[in-house]
Amino acid sequence: MNARTLRALAPLIAVALALIVPLAVSDRFLLKVFTFCGINALVVVGLALLFGYAGQVSLGHAAFMGLGAYTSAYCTVELGWPWLLGFVAAGVVAALGGLILAIPSLRLKGYYLAMATLGFGLLMSLAFIQAEPITGGVDGFSGIPFPSIGPVEFRSASSLYWLVWGAVGIAVLVAHNITSLRPGRAMRALHGSELGAQACGVDIVGVKVRTFVVSALMAGLAGALYAGVVGFISPSLFTLTASITFIAMTIVGGTSSLAGPILAAVALTLVQYSDALIPGLPRETAQTIQSYQEDIYGLAIVLIVIFAPRGLAGLWKRRSAGNEAS
Amino acid sequence: MRGRTFGWPSAVLLVVLLTALLAIAGCGDSGSEPSGDSTGAASGEPIKIGAILSLTGTYAGLGEPEKNLIEMEVKKINDAGGINGRPVEVIIEDDATDEAQAVAAASRLIEQENVVAIIGATGTGQTMAMRGDIQRAGIPQVSMAGGTVITNPVDPLVFATPWSNTIVVPFTLDYLKGQGITKIGLITDSGGFGKDGQAVFKEAAPKAGVEIVADETLNPGDTDMTAQLTKIKNSDAEAIVMWTAGSEAAIIAKNARDLGIELPIYGSHGIARQEFIDGAGEAAEGVKLAAGKVLDPSLYPEGSEARAVADDFISSYEQAYGEKPGMFPGYAYDALYLVVEAAKRVEGDLTPEALLEQIQATTGWVGIDGTYNMTAEDHNGLTVDDLQMYEISGGKFTPVQ
Amino acid sequence: MSEFLQFLVAGLKNGSIYALIALGFTIVYAATGAINFAQGEFFMLGGMLCVSFTDLGMPLPVAAVAAIAATAAIGAAFELLAVRPIAGDSPLRIIMVTIGGAVVLRQLALHFFGPDERALAPFTEGASLKAFGVAVELQTLWIWGLTALAVVALALLYRKTAFGRAMRATAIRRDAARLVGINAGMMVTVAFALAAGLGALAGVAVAPLTQTAFGVGAAIGVKGFAAAILGGIGNPITAVAGGLLLGLLESFAAGYFDPAYKDGVALVVLLVVLFVAPQGLLAKAGRVKV
Repeated sequence: MNARTLRALAPLIAVALALIVPLAVSDRFLLKVFTFCGINALVVVGLALLFGYAGQVSLGHAAFMGLGAYTSAYCTVELGWPWLLGFVAAGVVAALGGLILAIPSLRLKGYYLAMATLGFGLLMSLAFIQAEPITGGVDGFSGIPFPSIGPVEFRSASSLYWLVWGAVGIAVLVAHNITSLRPGRAMRALHGSELGAQACGVDIVGVKVRTFVVSALMAGLAGALYAGVVGFISPSLFTLTASITFIAMTIVGGTSSLAGPILAAVALTLVQYSDALIPGLPRETAQTIQSYQEDIYGLAIVLIVIFAPRGLAGLWKRRSAGNEAS
Repeated sequence: MRGRTFGWPSAVLLVVLLTALLAIAGCGDSGSEPSGDSTGAASGEPIKIGAILSLTGTYAGLGEPEKNLIEMEVKKINDAGGINGRPVEVIIEDDATDEAQAVAAASRLIEQENVVAIIGATGTGQTMAMRGDIQRAGIPQVSMAGGTVITNPVDPLVFATPWSNTIVVPFTLDYLKGQGITKIGLITDSGGFGKDGQAVFKEAAPKAGVEIVADETLNPGDTDMTAQLTKIKNSDAEAIVMWTAGSEAAIIAKNARDLGIELPIYGSHGIARQEFIDGAGEAAEGVKLAAGKVLDPSLYPEGSEARAVADDFISSYEQAYGEKPGMFPGYAYDALYLVVEAAKRVEGDLTPEALLEQIQATTGWVGIDGTYNMTAEDHNGLTVDDLQMYEISGGKFTPVQ
Repeated sequence: MSEFLQFLVAGLKNGSIYALIALGFTIVYAATGAINFAQGEFFMLGGMLCVSFTDLGMPLPVAAVAAIAATAAIGAAFELLAVRPIAGDSPLRIIMVTIGGAVVLRQLALHFFGPDERALAPFTEGASLKAFGVAVELQTLWIWGLTALAVVALALLYRKTAFGRAMRATAIRRDAARLVGINAGMMVTVAFALAAGLGALAGVAVAPLTQTAFGVGAAIGVKGFAAAILGGIGNPITAVAGGLLLGLLESFAAGYFDPAYKDGVALVVLLVVLFVAPQGLLAKAGRVKV
């Protein structure tokens, strides 16, 4: 096995290792925290794809997560569909949402695309509140069943963990295929120069739309998983703050890899649960960490963008750092 | 640059991290030993109760006094022998006024700490958010949030200490009717509390002989209610009734006065706090609202149990924290003691089921909000007798007849 | 009729606030070609600082001026510390830095000023003016007066002073401006300070009517941007017009339809303009490149 094959397999090995965790952890809450890490990682894989490979930005990804979460909740609870069908529907609705936003956004770049996604995210937050018959309004949507596939119900902490990280693994595979095959090269070209890519015959429009849709789809599926794992969703989960948290994870991780953002998603999610992670941590300390959590996100974004534009992943790629920093 | 998409070093890092996770998780396994330092009069294994409060975020101003109160009273309870000789340990978690964190906190308290009951949350949204975990665990929850949705319809596991809209709204309507007001302009927020109030008003107004001639809503966070008030002004409303608990209420009062509307203004019990008076300034003068008698304990007869409880609550809070308690520590007091008193009545093993049964069996217990009588159909337990109409005058809540 | 007029007054009141925020976006855009996603936080800082200064015992006019000056200084520092190191870089990075900066500013305000909403006394005590069945709060008159003053002062600054000409020259061609001896970096810092000051002015002026809190920045920022884009970004005159128009749209939507959808108006306007005519509906098409 040469180094290149190893490199390609590395993320899969990592995911495989992640899947072993429940065998070693008996604390159900810790497993749940790791499950949340996985859900965030799923959104972040999609964002990294959008961000790092297509050079596009979304400040409204929490909206797609919300679309997926509410779709899955509505389909399973109100329509009585099997969970898997609701899960698929969640992906479809989120992807459609992505398509609806992506098409008119095609002529937008940089600041304008960012503002459009921000506006879309805020509009969806309002919609989740106003569409009360479907979403339950501000009171939220409760009584969402555990995920199940056929007769298998994912009820225990470890089975939910496997389900979520399994989904992350599949997302990584999909993302890896997208990035290493021809469209992936097109996307990297996009990030560098759209004109250049176009001159080489790259279908920029197609690549942009497809990336946006795939990215929205991943967020939607993450939302459906969250709904199943927790059993309750409400509009305050899918706000601008959540979108910025996902951005922070992506930026900190580095936008030209997948391992970096996943790692950052795990690390930044754990910040929130420091009291559960470290037994005996005084409540005051945990509380301080929690109250400064958003400061950490904000500051991390600023510092990383200024001093380490390629994120954590970039810091480790010492050789490429010099060549590509500009 | 092909093949550089997943750098080796970052993959190694990922592996290192996962190993670290495993190590931490391994430690976590043995981390369930009780950490209570029960040096008080009570001894034995502590009874663990969880409390989920908003100590940061939007409701931090509400949750902080609740935390103060709980810490103060738990010490008092343990000094006095705890629950049947066992000390109480209340594990306080911050939900940061965020539903997701409330869910995570409930999950941790249930699964890591094995609490027998949960007090909280501070807000309605957070209270509702943890319902799934409460149901899956089957433990009782006593909320300190005001939304009627919490106890209506009744969830067998969930109780709430603030007066529910289903008693405050009819009380307010009766008072209006007594003032000869039969046509009201209603303005409610679209959040949980206001929306709930609006529904209760629509149901109760016809019964009370009051007509809602304007029915306006606002979004939490709105900063200008001119449109809604103009519509109420142009209706034949004889009073403005506003059902919102946040800073929006102060804006309504100010906008109404600025628009030259002279109609009397009635508010909800959610504005029975100094922030409303500070926010509305002059415009707060004359605003009426129904709230508990604890705002003015002299309403209780001299020597009554309720008077003693209220006086003691106010003086010990003032002594400990240097300021008068608002409504919220009162909600926390009642929530804590509903659980503690019920736990004292449990004979044999203190299981969640036994505790639940005893909380529901609470009768004639005098708390801060009034006298609680829980039943299977009523998980709030208060009545209109616990309420009093107040008018804001001279920047103070003054009881009116 | 009186109803219509009342909605008109409310619309122009809120519209003036949006206009000031939109001006802030415009000034920074003109100087750097960048959108500052932290613009709304300056609005928040203005109001919160003014309340804190009055709490310290300063008379209201002093506190207001001090709050605006302090916010302008924060705006300049924000540019120097966060934006300057990546000046001229890809929009993506500038978006990220200003977004991250906005979070930091909001959190700092939370830690310094606490989570509660804070009230500010009206500039002039007294009953509203009434005519034709319409009431106008005295504070609204202040808002209109201050907005008009700010717009006129800004116009004079840009058109009549050497400094203003340097600003405009930098906006048109930065490298050429540098060649004729203009300190372009300095211009950008000043632009951020001006934009922050205008945001703070709006925050101070409206605080007596609405109260203020650490978290009000993001929403007002988006509305101000919607106003700026409605007018066509980069043009101060149409930015003001865009602000007033957006205020009116909101007010009439709330008045004649449902107040619940008021906040949606600005967002729908934002998306429609971005998708249909990103160069702005009010500006001459093609004048500003996107």
